[in-house]
This record gives sequence, C-alpha cells and structure tokens, in this order.
Amino acid sequence: MASILETAASVGVFNTLLAAVDAAGLREALEGPGPFTVFAPVDDAFAALPPGTVQTLVDNPPQLARILKYHVLSGSYSREQLVAEDNWDSLEGAPIPIRSKDPFEVKNATVVNADVVCDNGVVHVIDRVILPG
Amino acid sequence: MTATVASERIKAPLIPPSTHRYADVIHRLEAGGSMLPDTPENLKQIIGIYKAYAVPMDFYWRDLLYIAERVFLNPLPAFKYFISQEYLDRPNSYAGDQSQLRIWRGGEKVHPELLEFMERGETGRMSKLFHHLWHDRVNMEFAEACMQAMLWHQGMGGRFNDYLESDAYKSNADRAIKAYFKGNPLMLGLYALFPDMFLEQVRQLSYTANLGLFWEVMAPVFFEMSDIYDEGGFKGVPDAMDFLVNGIFAVAGRPIYHHLYIGDECYEIIPKSEGFTWLYEAALPYVEAVFYRTAPFRGTKSYNAQAGQVPADQADFHYGILYADVFPVGSAGIPPTLLMQDMLHFLPPYLKEIYREHRRGEEDELVQLGITFQRSMYNVTSAVIQALRCALLYPLDDTNPEHLMANRRFFEAQMDRFLRPEARLPDIQSQDYR
Repeated sequence: MASILETAASVGVFNTLLAAVDAAGLREALEGPGPFTVFAPVDDAFAALPPGTVQTLVDNPPQLARILKYHVLSGSYSREQLVAEDNWDSLEGAPIPIRSKDPFEVKNATVVNADVVCDNGVVHVIDRVILPG
Repeated sequence: MTATVASERIKAPLIPPSTHRYADVIHRLEAGGSMLPDTPENLKQIIGIYKAYAVPMDFYWRDLLYIAERVFLNPLPAFKYFISQEYLDRPNSYAGDQSQLRIWRGGEKVHPELLEFMERGETGRMSKLFHHLWHDRVNMEFAEACMQAMLWHQGMGGRFNDYLESDAYKSNADRAIKAYFKGNPLMLGLYALFPDMFLEQVRQLSYTANLGLFWEVMAPVFFEMSDIYDEGGFKGVPDAMDFLVNGIFAVAGRPIYHHLYIGDECYEIIPKSEGFTWLYEAALPYVEAVFYRTAPFRGTKSYNAQAGQVPADQADFHYGILYADVFPVGSAGIPPTLLMQDMLHFLPPYLKEIYREHRRGEEDELVQLGITFQRSMYNVTSAVIQALRCALLYPLDDTNPEHLMANRRFFEAQMDRFLRPEARLPDIQSQDYR
C-alpha cells in the first residue's frame, strides 16, 4: 500500500496541496508512520481562493503549515468514526466540526471521496480549503 | 470559497425572509451587499475618507514599528514620535516592486502628502520640535489608543494573547530586556526588583508591533481603492466591499511578529516561526477591539458604573466607531477627534465639497467627516463579515437551503450586535445622517 503523500501524488488532483506540503516543510512529518487522517482539498479548492491568498502563505512557511495542520488529525479515522462525534481536534489545535453525516460535510467543505486508506492513515477528499475560526 | 462576493449573488430566494429587526440589511448582505446602502454618495464618501485615512496611516504603521523595534523600553521616550529616517524610508512590504505580493499598484515609499504635511503642518515650515510641541503633527496618540484597546481587551480570538503569557515569550522578552539595558545597572536593578512591570511593558510593545504590521497592509489597500475610484473603477459600494474582502484573503497569511533591534542585532521576542497570521492575530482582534469595544472616552460623558451604565463584561463594551456619537468632537485628547483632525488634512476635494454643501459647511467639517468615517467603517466591517462567511460558511449562491440558513444565522448573529440603542446602523441607512 502507498503512503498518504504517494497516494495523493498518484491521483493528479492534489498538485497544489502537495506543493504546499513541501513549501511548509511538512513532507517528512507526513511521510512518518503516523497514523494521520488528512482532509485533502483538491486543486480547484485552492484555485477558488482569492488572488494572492496561496502566494502569501507559500511565502511564509510557518503560517502555511498552520493552515495545512488544520486539515490533519492525529490517528486514522474512517467516515463512520468521524460522523459519530461533533468535533475533532486538528493538529493545528482548533477543532474541526462535522456538520453533516449525509452528505458527509466537514466544516464548510463536502467530502467528495471518503475513506481512501493508505499505509500511514486515511484520506478524505474535500472540495474546499477549510480554515480555523 | 469564491474569488469575489460579486460572483456569488443569489438569484431566487430558497429560504424564507428573515424576521430580524435588521431584515433589510440581512437580505442585502445575503445578496452580496454591504451594511452601508449602495448609493453614489456613500461610495464617494467612503472612498474619499479611505484616502484621507491612508495618509496618516502611512505614518502610524511606520512609527508603531519604530517604537516597537527601536525605541522599545526607553524610560523617557520623549522622542518616540520623531520617527527615524530609516523607518520613514522603510519600503512597505505590500506595495512597490520589491514586494513579494504585488496586488496593489502604489509605491513602497512614504506618501508625498504625508511628507509635505510633516514639513509644513498647519502652521508653516519650522523645526520638528516646534511642530511637535505645538501639536501640529500626525496624532500618534490615536494609534497608541488603538493599540491599548487591543492590549486591554485581549482575549478576542487568535493565539497572540496566549503566547504573551507563555514561558517562551517570557524568556524571549527577558533576553531582549537584558540586552537593551546592557551596561545600565540602574535599569537592570529596577528590572530585578519589578520584573513583571517590565514584562507588561514589553507585551504592550508586542501589540504595538502587531498594529503596525496590520496597518502596513491597510495603507496601500486604501490608496489603491482611491486610485481605482478616481479612474472610475468602482460601480458601487458592494464593489468597494468586494475589494476589501479579496484584500483580507490576499494577506491573511502575513506573519505577525515582534522583533527588537539593538544596532544591527535582532532579538526575536515573537518569532515569525510561531505561525501568527495577519487575519487571526491582528485583523480580527483589531476590528473587535477598535470598531466594536474600545472604552468610554474621558471628558465626553460621565458614566455610573454602579448603575450598570458600563458593562461588567468587557465583551459587551460598545464604545467603538460603530456605536460612537461623533458629535462631541473637539474635546482634547479623545482618540476619534485626534484621528478626525489627522484626516482633515488629507481630504480629497470632492469630499470637502460635500461637507461645504451640508449642515454648517466648514464649521462642522470634523463632525461630518466623523460620520463619513463611521459609514466607511460599517463598510469595512461588512467586508470582514463577508470574509468570515466566505472562510467559515457557504457561498451566497449555494443551492442547499441548509447552507443558506447557516449563512442566515451567522448574519443575524452579527446584526444582533447592533440591536443596542447606541448602534449607528439605522442612522447610516439614511443620507440625512451627517
């Protein structure tokens, strides 16, 4: 089985996310044994952000890392486990609310593909970048 | 999330109308508008005042950073408003060709109208010291009052304030204090006796840096808005609000930090690596502290705390510009008067003309421009509300009624803050409020 980042790279719709992971210096951590649960925004989700948003973050790795860590949970959780709770603590520190079970909605993003199982965790593909607050 | 609020405007209502007292305003927000009605005069007023605000702001941010990074704990900071040439020449990080993010077209240098005013003031050409003593200068006291509002209200979201209480911060501050007073046994002795007093002063300076970094971004944004308007670029108030929403996103990830420089050596009191951001640790606390809360101004009105005239809970404070009665301007030293006096020097001609035509003309220009400023800050607050809705909730053209209801609840909760009688939201709905 492939790791979270290898799986993401093979699909071809997470190019911005993978570039951001590298820019933030999080590749090594996410290639570790974990396990992690990653809510992975597709390229279109990043493209929908107003001009300059991603560039400012990429120029400032600690700030970018903070936003990316908001998309990661420590531990491997399936959709079934996630919808059993209202909130999950992200690696960033702020909680991620589960707003709807069906359709499966994480904060203001919709999970378009859940439970992609990898070597070191599980990926849920989301259609929007989620932000703490 | 979408690039602009304009592209999300809804076509047909999928949810029933709001029954909130400010239902009209809520429906306008849901249609991608601002709390401020979309009229040509409102657009003219707010853009004109953004320009008049940006010029002194170009001084505020530079001097705030000068104070936080250079003046630091000077026990007799009599010259803290005498900004050094280095900080006056400091290139704006978000304007000019050297900027990594080139969204706004303005240059990186200090604005020429500011330099001209610093040279001549209202009185005429004389030495900097006389301008200072005659109070014929930019009122930095206003900027410091905003900083103090942020320091005093503290817990308003973000992690900045928590960090100021952390061991890491205390250790960084200790290193900076000892380096700053190196070779000064008197100050080092006082520090040994009263360490918390020094630490609290450094915390205040960290908020000084925070506000300086916040305004460094806002100045080029407001200059750009003025330029776009002069070129005929904005078609209405919602366009101006959209521009602010996009600006908020563009710089949301800007680092907020506090560095002290002693000579060429940099002491990182709050390092950039802490991950603090412009949006969470500066912009949102600023709006909360300064637009909504602040504190009663001395000399304008007496309050009886025992009679509950001052809220027991700081979160209920409502003395910011969104609630202010701008009529009692002119009282010495009250922060809004200081700002209005600063803006008066840089009003564009079309705004002066509006003031001449209404009320008592030039005689009550300060009051009229105060109300214009109030209108413009309702528009900025609208941009913040729409940006938060964009970031945390759903597009305005979402087709899921549950999502639209979540947006509705958010907008209604925001409008609840203007239900108290002091709120000026009903007043700004009419052009007669001047």
